Amino acid sequence: MTATSIRPRSGGRPARDPFIGRPTASPQAAAEWTRRQVVMANLRSVRGRAYPRVTGLFREKSWLLFEILLPFLTTSAFVFVYRALQAPPEYIGFVVVGGAMSAFWLNVVWMMAAQLYWEKDQGNLELYFAAPMDVMSVLFGMALGGMVMSSSRAIAVLVVATLVYGVTFAVDQWLLLGLVFLLTLAALYGLGMILSSLFLMWGREAWHMTQLLVEPVYFVSGLNFPVARLGMLGALAVATIPLAVGLDAIRQLCFVGTDVSLLPPGVEALILAIMAVVFTLAARASLRILERRARIEGRLTARWR
Amino acid sequence: MTTSTLPPAGGAAGDAGPGAGIAFGGWDGFDRGRTRGGGLRAQWRGFATAVRLGWSTEANWTDPILFFIYSVAKPVSAALILVVMLEVIGGASTREYRGFVVTGSALWAMVLSGIAGLAWSILEDRERYRMLKYVYVSQSDFLVVLTGRAVARAAVGAMGAVITLAIGVVVLGVPFDPFAIDWPLLAVVTTVGVVAIVAIGMILGAVVMQSRQEAWQYPEAVAGALFLVAGAVFPLAVLPMPIQIVGLLTPLAWWIEGTRLALFEGGLSAIGGPGSAWQALTGTASPSTTEVVVALLVTGVVGTLLATLAFRASERRAKDRGLLDQTTGS
Amino acid sequence: MSAEPTAPAIEARGLRRVYRTKPVDVVALDGVDLDVAAGEFFGLLGPNGAGKTTLIKILTTLLAPSGGSARIFGFDVERETKRIRRIMNMVAGGEQSGYGILTVREQLWMFSQFYGLPGGEGWRRVDELIDAVGLGEQRVQRVGTLSTGQRQKMNFARGLLNDPWILFLDEPTLGLDVGAARSVRELVLSWQESVAGRTVLLTTHYMAEADELCERIAIVDHGRILAIGTPAELKRRVQRESVFRLELDRLDGGATALARLPGVVSAVPAATDGQAGAGATPRQTVVLSLVLHDDAALGGVVAALDPLGAHIVALQKSEPSLEDVFVELVGRGFGDDEPTEEPPISDGRGPGAAAVPGATNGAGPGRAAGADVGPHELGEPDPEELLT
Repeated sequence: MTATSIRPRSGGRPARDPFIGRPTASPQAAAEWTRRQVVMANLRSVRGRAYPRVTGLFREKSWLLFEILLPFLTTSAFVFVYRALQAPPEYIGFVVVGGAMSAFWLNVVWMMAAQLYWEKDQGNLELYFAAPMDVMSVLFGMALGGMVMSSSRAIAVLVVATLVYGVTFAVDQWLLLGLVFLLTLAALYGLGMILSSLFLMWGREAWHMTQLLVEPVYFVSGLNFPVARLGMLGALAVATIPLAVGLDAIRQLCFVGTDVSLLPPGVEALILAIMAVVFTLAARASLRILERRARIEGRLTARWR
Repeated sequence: MTTSTLPPAGGAAGDAGPGAGIAFGGWDGFDRGRTRGGGLRAQWRGFATAVRLGWSTEANWTDPILFFIYSVAKPVSAALILVVMLEVIGGASTREYRGFVVTGSALWAMVLSGIAGLAWSILEDRERYRMLKYVYVSQSDFLVVLTGRAVARAAVGAMGAVITLAIGVVVLGVPFDPFAIDWPLLAVVTTVGVVAIVAIGMILGAVVMQSRQEAWQYPEAVAGALFLVAGAVFPLAVLPMPIQIVGLLTPLAWWIEGTRLALFEGGLSAIGGPGSAWQALTGTASPSTTEVVVALLVTGVVGTLLATLAFRASERRAKDRGLLDQTTGS
Repeated sequence: MSAEPTAPAIEARGLRRVYRTKPVDVVALDGVDLDVAAGEFFGLLGPNGAGKTTLIKILTTLLAPSGGSARIFGFDVERETKRIRRIMNMVAGGEQSGYGILTVREQLWMFSQFYGLPGGEGWRRVDELIDAVGLGEQRVQRVGTLSTGQRQKMNFARGLLNDPWILFLDEPTLGLDVGAARSVRELVLSWQESVAGRTVLLTTHYMAEADELCERIAIVDHGRILAIGTPAELKRRVQRESVFRLELDRLDGGATALARLPGVVSAVPAATDGQAGAGATPRQTVVLSLVLHDDAALGGVVAALDPLGAHIVALQKSEPSLEDVFVELVGRGFGDDEPTEEPPISDGRGPGAAAVPGATNGAGPGRAAGADVGPHELGEPDPEELLT
């Protein structure tokens, strides 16, 4: 059986049938994709899923208020705590950097970890799983879009706070700083992907778990203070939480000369790289296992409504 | 005045001829008195029901994990961040601040719950439960019901505040004398404070009623902004003067100050102190108990009135534009 | 490739699905056998909770069966999910999926990317489908502002993006007004007819929709297929004869004059306007309920009227509805409660009809289990959950 994409109309002028896109000879032929087709479909899926996040950034102007001004005010509160304590000026810088990086963490928690839960609630999740691309592509797309969203917030908070509070950065190794920042993002969003797949199974309970990932993680990661001050707890955080190790490394590189750090930034960069790889691989494995379990238990399509 | 009625009660369906409706036994016709409403009693009943509903869905006291997350882990972590910040800077010399920041941080958990309460109730009922329109057309006053839910949420936040304060006292060494608590003052400031918190939530609710998808983040963002001017974790004197004035006009600042006075008499003042707008305006180092209560009452009443007006205006606009039963997919 | 060249579109054998719930497990599908040929428009008809959606979820690889097997064009639903997902798509009624901030065009383009279409081709395909489904004016309108009917059209466009060989429609006209529902039905038919071999599996509880669209229908209840056949075959289960309402200007000799004719089973006065048994209308015509062995006997009846001095005023064929078929099979209507008697044993007519033992297992209608059923517990919701 051969499908044609052209149907002659009366008058002999061929017109495109909108109901025939890419004709294939048979369902069996259509079902077999080459490796290139699979890779391209996954890459295009990454692009597709990132699209609404990037578009949303420019479409809803309220982000100027809620993504920049109000987070700046929250960061400012902690700046004034240090001012009230007459802290050394680099501590103001710590708070500003912490405030900027918190944008990424919140994005990971709310827009990665809990996202599949919301997608299921909206009815999008089953459409993703019914599509032929790897759902990891969707997560990568979410991560990419999220990074764009959060970067705008982080940069805005960083620039405004730096200007308003007169923060002085002392950077010696720009390349290493850039690398550490990118590795931090990779590790953060890798963790986000693991959490996404876990939350797929936990359902409503997962949404409550995300609450545990805000203030408690801020505390153990040293969002507003050097994590080394937490002693063993800080060491444990650096070993396990990308935000902690990333913040510590970025602070060392942004404020050279401060001596409150656990490990040299190069070592912390290595930790981040390992985290990024491990988290991403673990996310892929857990997503496969959990998708299978979700299909068995009927959690892909169950939603409260 | 005539009242239209269905055929008299007691007859069978076919008795009144073709087209007769169903007659219910014992029903004597439409009672216009039912449209008059039940007055204050009915409003109180609606409020109390809403509080019970809000408490039963929010309190999590039956689920230890959820209770731990919302009433222990989150507020305590927030307080610990500040405590460590103090330790990092000054060590022992900053101990006196510890009670200051722990109290402020603990109370802030209540602020966030209360502010978010009304706004999130609207969003949940509109987007998740799709119940908002049914609540609206019920005989209970819309604002009264939402206020009840907000009060319940504030009470849940209060649980977290108490736990955080207790941990602060027991674990973090915050000096505290339970026999020195000024209970009358605490009762007054807490009552007015909750009203003020809910009033801010009302303003937020008014905004949320008009908003679409991004509204979920408004409460946290607004709470974060208020955090700056409420004197929760640092004295207002640290801020530039114009911003201090904003803080003095906020009932939250007076509520936190009053609560600190009631619990820790003689402690640091967030309102007064060297370089403060209060000192510049009044010449006194810090406000007295009476001044705190009066300021809280004035700012609270004004804030509540403004909030009520804003909410009613928003409600009218929402009804006019058909927003009460919209779902925005958020 | 493990599939056969002429594999049926759907092949299910002994399909079971059990949900582990408390206090008792729910059997949503209880041994379903089904064969749907390539190019067929097949319907699943049954009340809420019959197991239709569960069956579709299994066939669309979203749900794993508890037992039995199913294949789509020869590909196993458990082991070859990726291959199936490349050749199928699904559209459900009442879908609220999508991101409100995107326009219709953008929303569809996003999904085109999930199916691997190159970016430019995706935009072109999206524009074609938007015009085809009649959403041209809503092309750059945000998804969140669409009406129910418009959203469903958009969902259809999404469902057709990848040129599926099999399209699963789960109550696609649910909640749509008459015009929108008709529009959707026409779309589906036009799409299916564009290419030979395209298959549609439609679940619905609207009898008229199934009757209009489907070449064959399976009646499902309590997780079992009670009967399969064309609409006409199913109706003949209930009424093997042909029934007509015949209105005449007069009839000398009364109804018995016709009752003696060859091929006539019975001819009795029909009830009109509440006047039981009279057979007379306000216009003084004679109305009869005429039951014939088959339609062919009608000719003889018509021929016999003239000698009797009768002329036809109106002639109308009465057919049983699919609900009549359902009631016959199950013992209750679609809107009724549980049956008061055990469902009848299927006679095994047609391929795929389940051999059902007389007793039911007492299981209620299947429902999706999951942690998300129940009141929503509160805390801080997603601050940016919108869509992104």
